[in-house]
Amino acid sequence: MASVELRNISKRYGAVEVIKNLDLTVDDGSFCALLGPSGCGKSTLLRMIAGLETITEGSAFIGGVDVTRLAPSQRRVAMVFQSYALYPHLTVRDNICFSLSLAGVSRDVQNAKAAEIAKMLQLEQLLDRRPAQLSGGQRQRVAIGRALVRAPEVFLFDEPLSNLDALLRVQMRLELAKLHQNLKTTMVYVTHDQVEAMTLADKIVVLDKGRISQAGAPLELYNSPANKFVASFIGSPAMNFIPGTVTSADGNSVTVEMQGGAQIPIRRRHPNSATPSSPLEVGIRPEHITILNTGDKAALTTGIVQIVEQLGNSTIAYVDTPIGQLVMEGDGGIAIAPNDTIGLSLDATRAHMFGTDGHVI
Amino acid sequence: MTTIAANLNEPAGPNAARFNRIMMLDRAGLIITVVTFLGAILWAFPIYWTLVTTFKPEQDIVRPGVDFFPDRFTLEAYTHVLFNTKIGLWYVNSLVTSAMVTVLVIMMSAAAGYAISQLEFPGRKFLWWMILASFMVPIPALIVNHFVLMSQFKLINTWTGVVLPQLIAPVTVMIYKQFFDSVPKDFREAAIIDGATEFQLLFRLYLPMNWGITTALAIITFISAWNNFLWPFLVTTSEEMMNITVGITQVTDAFGVKYARDLASAILAALPVAIVYLIFQRRVTQAIMLTAGIKG
Repeated sequence: MASVELRNISKRYGAVEVIKNLDLTVDDGSFCALLGPSGCGKSTLLRMIAGLETITEGSAFIGGVDVTRLAPSQRRVAMVFQSYALYPHLTVRDNICFSLSLAGVSRDVQNAKAAEIAKMLQLEQLLDRRPAQLSGGQRQRVAIGRALVRAPEVFLFDEPLSNLDALLRVQMRLELAKLHQNLKTTMVYVTHDQVEAMTLADKIVVLDKGRISQAGAPLELYNSPANKFVASFIGSPAMNFIPGTVTSADGNSVTVEMQGGAQIPIRRRHPNSATPSSPLEVGIRPEHITILNTGDKAALTTGIVQIVEQLGNSTIAYVDTPIGQLVMEGDGGIAIAPNDTIGLSLDATRAHMFGTDGHVI
Repeated sequence: MTTIAANLNEPAGPNAARFNRIMMLDRAGLIITVVTFLGAILWAFPIYWTLVTTFKPEQDIVRPGVDFFPDRFTLEAYTHVLFNTKIGLWYVNSLVTSAMVTVLVIMMSAAAGYAISQLEFPGRKFLWWMILASFMVPIPALIVNHFVLMSQFKLINTWTGVVLPQLIAPVTVMIYKQFFDSVPKDFREAAIIDGATEFQLLFRLYLPMNWGITTALAIITFISAWNNFLWPFLVTTSEEMMNITVGITQVTDAFGVKYARDLASAILAALPVAIVYLIFQRRVTQAIMLTAGIKG
């Protein structure tokens, strides 16, 4: 096991800077997810840790050893690719043992290792098959087996579940979580799927245009996003953003008048960060909006339901209100229908404020 | 009565148009089949005629008239070629030089194709353009230079002399490069993380993953080397060092025009290639299709 540390690293392709002066520490034995939209540099970052991309500036350390100029095979890492990259001409056994075979390990030892890993990943019956004869989930397990056989200090996963269907993805997610619990090896996991990141990782690093937008525990990012980008990227359905203006500020509390005239008191995260008349956006997650009767005094605003999505365990409604279109999420049993007029209240204690620069106030 | 008979043969109403269309297609199909059949006969007849002639006595061959079957069946032409010429040596020479050409061309082309496709080194593009440019130069245009070179190296009448100029195979390099380019990058990267060297990548990944193309190229290279006439004809003057394609010309020289013997030697020369083709028919077709796009 080993920690991963990136110190002030940059990656440039000609004039294009993909990673910009990035510092990151992944603790020994932790599960770190690199999360971000396409093109944010998360896969490049992972490939730089693996040694598949050179580091233009800065240094990378694995287990305290400077690996910046080391070949990928010398970094004691193993990588699972999105495409699995299973060699089509080799059997499952030979795929798993490929690295051992390259290192000249005897056939007996290879077979013993393959049997041990096959047992761990429930691949015993498939050892003599070729990748083309396997299902997506089985291929994924073989790819993990091929990484496991090297007994790496760091596992690197590059969107390993992207090619699986929804059901299999949930199963494999569980298996990966179990694997991490059993091995307690450092894992760095690239994904654009926030659910994968939230469910698997101890630490999520949200990347935006080659920079770390925020890094922290999953719930920390969910409950206290540092900026609008993180707030909008994490959570499904996404957070509502309502334009507003500060009307008064008193200690930690700020009163915001949202468009349409409704006012809401919100606790500011940084003292003196919101002054009267300053424009901002109020962020509120769909589950922090409650449906009330239109006549209810607690209702902040009223609205007309446009679309209702009944998911069984929850109900998502898109509501047109004077403060803008809001998405709200409630219990599965809520009885609302399109064109209903409803009252809405916002949980002010869970609301966030973002300045014009996108940073949380 | 006439109306009823007409209705029975040709459907009326909306089906009539469909019926006519099918009849048209049938007629077109019939014409194509007949033309193809005639083409096949035209192509196969000389082979049949050659084969039949080899089983006839020389007197029957030169007498006027056309005999599609031998009146008198004899193996004299074959026994003569097999026992009174150096055909055994010519076979060995052809086999050794063709095998050498095949092994070396495949190994060098695979390595060159891999290097150009996968490695980053200074001059890579220049090398690639050089290979493409060498493809534009017809080999017969270089044959005098080749002869002078081989002569200076004292390689006339040697297997090495026969083999060396035949190793120029830009098309094979181009095909390998094209195939190696199409191998997804993930395979290479996964193997590099596993600790593979460039040689291991080539021999344990890229070549086995493109085994079909290697087999196809090897077969077609072997057949081309076996059938090659001009260069082996120039570089060998000693009867002992001749390839089969060159050697059979000596049958004519030694015994004058004796059609049965000449054709029997031609049949014996072509036999190994025909066998190779019959065994690896699919692979050969695949290779011809692959090279067709490049060779034009």
